[in-house]
Amino acid sequence: MLSVLSYGRIVARAVLGGLSQTDGRDYSLITASCGFGKDFRKGILKKGMCYGDDACFIARHKSADVLGVADGVGGWRDYGVDPSQFSATLMRTCERLVKEGRFTPSSPVGILTSGYYELLQNKVPLLGSSTACIVILDRRSHRIHTCNLGDSGFLVVRGGEVVHRSDEQQHYFNTPFQLSIAPPGAEGVVLSDSPEVSDSSSFDVQLGDIILTATDGLFDNMPDYMILQELKKLKNTNYDSIQQTARSIAEQAHELAYDPNYMSPFAQFACDNGLNVRGGKPDDITVLLSIVAEYTD
Amino acid sequence: MFPMLTLLSMFYYICLRRRSRSGTRSEALGSRRAVELGQRSALPVTVEVEQYGKEVLDFSSHYGSENSMSYTMWNLAGVPNVYPSSGDFTQTAVFRTYGSWWEQCTSSASRFRRTPPSFHSQDYLELAFEEPVYPTAVEVLETYHPGAVVKILACSLNPFSQNPPVDVRWEVLWAGKPNKALTPQARQFSPSIKQINFATNLLRLEVNSSLLEYYTELDAVILRGVRERPILALYKIPVIDINDLSDSEEEISEAGGLCCRSGGENRHNLGNGYFDRLPYELIQLIVSHLPVPDLCRLAQSCKLFHKHCCDPLQYIQLSLQPYWARLTDASLSHLLSRCTLLQRLNMSWTGNRGAVTAAGFCSFMKACGVSLVCLELSCCHFLTEACLEVIAQTCPCLQELNLASCDRLQPQTFNHIAKLTNLRRLVLYRTKVEQSAILSILTFCPELKHLNLGSCVMIEDYDVVASMLSARCRSLRSLDLWRCRNLSEHGLAELVSGCRLLEELDLGWCSTLQSSSGCFQHLARSLPRLRKLFLTANRTVCDSDLEELAANCSALEHLDILGTRMVSSASLRKLLQCCPRLKLLDVSFCSQVDSRLVQELSGLFPNVSIKKSFTQ
Repeated sequence: MLSVLSYGRIVARAVLGGLSQTDGRDYSLITASCGFGKDFRKGILKKGMCYGDDACFIARHKSADVLGVADGVGGWRDYGVDPSQFSATLMRTCERLVKEGRFTPSSPVGILTSGYYELLQNKVPLLGSSTACIVILDRRSHRIHTCNLGDSGFLVVRGGEVVHRSDEQQHYFNTPFQLSIAPPGAEGVVLSDSPEVSDSSSFDVQLGDIILTATDGLFDNMPDYMILQELKKLKNTNYDSIQQTARSIAEQAHELAYDPNYMSPFAQFACDNGLNVRGGKPDDITVLLSIVAEYTD
Repeated sequence: MFPMLTLLSMFYYICLRRRSRSGTRSEALGSRRAVELGQRSALPVTVEVEQYGKEVLDFSSHYGSENSMSYTMWNLAGVPNVYPSSGDFTQTAVFRTYGSWWEQCTSSASRFRRTPPSFHSQDYLELAFEEPVYPTAVEVLETYHPGAVVKILACSLNPFSQNPPVDVRWEVLWAGKPNKALTPQARQFSPSIKQINFATNLLRLEVNSSLLEYYTELDAVILRGVRERPILALYKIPVIDINDLSDSEEEISEAGGLCCRSGGENRHNLGNGYFDRLPYELIQLIVSHLPVPDLCRLAQSCKLFHKHCCDPLQYIQLSLQPYWARLTDASLSHLLSRCTLLQRLNMSWTGNRGAVTAAGFCSFMKACGVSLVCLELSCCHFLTEACLEVIAQTCPCLQELNLASCDRLQPQTFNHIAKLTNLRRLVLYRTKVEQSAILSILTFCPELKHLNLGSCVMIEDYDVVASMLSARCRSLRSLDLWRCRNLSEHGLAELVSGCRLLEELDLGWCSTLQSSSGCFQHLARSLPRLRKLFLTANRTVCDSDLEELAANCSALEHLDILGTRMVSSASLRKLLQCCPRLKLLDVSFCSQVDSRLVQELSGLFPNVSIKKSFTQ
């Protein structure tokens, strides 16, 4: 009789263990950021988290960690509009939305939509456009929810291999999908994609997964194997080593961008499309490197 | 066994008593030693708790959109986002109006008689904190055009507790006059507050921005207090402040209660002296200058004054808004007998948190509503559909109805308003009125002169509303469509073709109107009597629109074209020249208009107040 009971107990425990999460602990993202603006505009004192026309944010709320990058479209400069204003304001607005809890962890599109709506509520007449990529980690469910509009994106690396990546969204060559606010009258002429056309995805993550969120300045200059090589050097999960690795990735991409003989992914893609080019692609580079770790307060 | 137990328990009892007694003795020794040594006493140190607001629970108005975090009242909760910087930022709490511009418009309610001079409040907000404390300081972080706060009150109710509210009291921590700081720069406003004898985690701020040059913006409120009731120092005997006695807020309910009882207590009929010689009308005139609580108190003094003070002729206009904290169902029932000739009633802000019930209000209306012409019920959260039904039934003469910020009223409630066919002025700012209700109101109320549908987010198609207005409400003088999301040029064209008498039109933040369609030029040509036009944040307003306004609308007094990049100095000059009565011109965030130009134009046209807001 006792053995039946003991077996029963083992079976019950196994069943319950299988039903509930094997790991009841919350996860969180430890994130470091690094980047370089295209021109070394040393004189301009930008608020932190802005690299050239790129902008990013890292924020947390009760149940989620959220990251975002936005790449301001440089073409606005020709019309007298500062392209960094749009991306920076968008990212700061999304950050504020997260901090005040005005979002659902399973809906990063919601953050983009609300953020874009709030941009229109600003008294200041903003103009410009940018891509956007939002990554949310739901701490309890251990799921990552992402949404990507344009050619920024993310990679998820597990065990030295890329297990998830975002897709680029382009209208045509070098013209990514973009959120924009156009001057009146130019609405038909200026590309303006709605947050709804962004790509969304959701997947589970494990402890130790590395998530790299970056603008196209990185992905156009550094192919995957180089990025993976750098990530292999990441030894532990403390903030300083993550910061160091992020920095080395960004620096390497920055160097490669100005190498005229290097066959960058951008040059490769151009060649595939019939343009005979070679070399890196000078661009603003923003890198957000995160590791999934256990949540500590 | 049992004797052993009793022996043991007795033994223990004795031991414990001895220990405790020796304990107190040692304590007493210790404190005496402390006193002798003059060192710190054994009393616990009171820790001051500092808290930021947790949640904004209620407010009368705000600048921003209903589901937004830009310029909305909810920004007041939490830590400051802008302070100590100054400027016009989205992360602050901003009220809907400022200055005296809105009071100058014909669409505003005329002032009620007998408003006490100490009541200055135009707007309010209620902010809840996490933990009830006995407040020692309240700091308001104002980040733009400070000086609006005129009153700070504390409530004895904990809004987060599950227990039903019992004896809700509001105590004034500080009251002052509307102010105007010398510069629009940020400041921390920390008036010295009164000590109160209950713990509070709900504060109310009342503001008056009539002296300010632009919208005031608040960033955060800090409540400092202690958890334990502070011990009043022995030398400070709590003096009954003479102001407390005349604090009208305390007296009205008690006065109302006493009035009916004490009919007249002069046992010896000595007559009323010289008062008997004065004509009835003269005493009525004298008494008509008293504020309502004084009127109630005077009624208790003798039979003659009781007769005068309870005369319904004294209650033709009644404003209970200054006494919102004390008004209850009981007060209403005591006023009932005197208010039978009531024509204008202001109950805005009253009755919240259970002080007035729908039933109490309905019985008051049934008794006193028959001659009612004007009814102000802004922010009255006790209202239900039944109340509106009673109003519709018992007030056939009603011409003015204000339900601003009654955001808890269900959409179907507003259908009853269609029965008030004499309506001239209707304010539905920030209510949940739906399209079918407003269309039926417009169908049956053709006398409408003033209509406010600002921030009415539940109306789906404003073009249809505009079309109905143009068809039915041809005597419309003022129309407030602030933040109406989907009015197009077709709706606007229909509106201006039908409502030719329009003098005030607020189309602020109506983003669907495009100047390229010619709608603003058409508007200017169609409305020669236009005195107020708000095109706030319509980014398409351009030079040709201003030129048409200059050519056609010479009566223009208020113009707001905030946030457009397409207006240059030439058309502004033309406008200023052609509109001699212009008093307010808001060109904030117009990229072609810089401060130098504003200065130059202000010099050339000194009668015009040209507003240019800034963010840094």
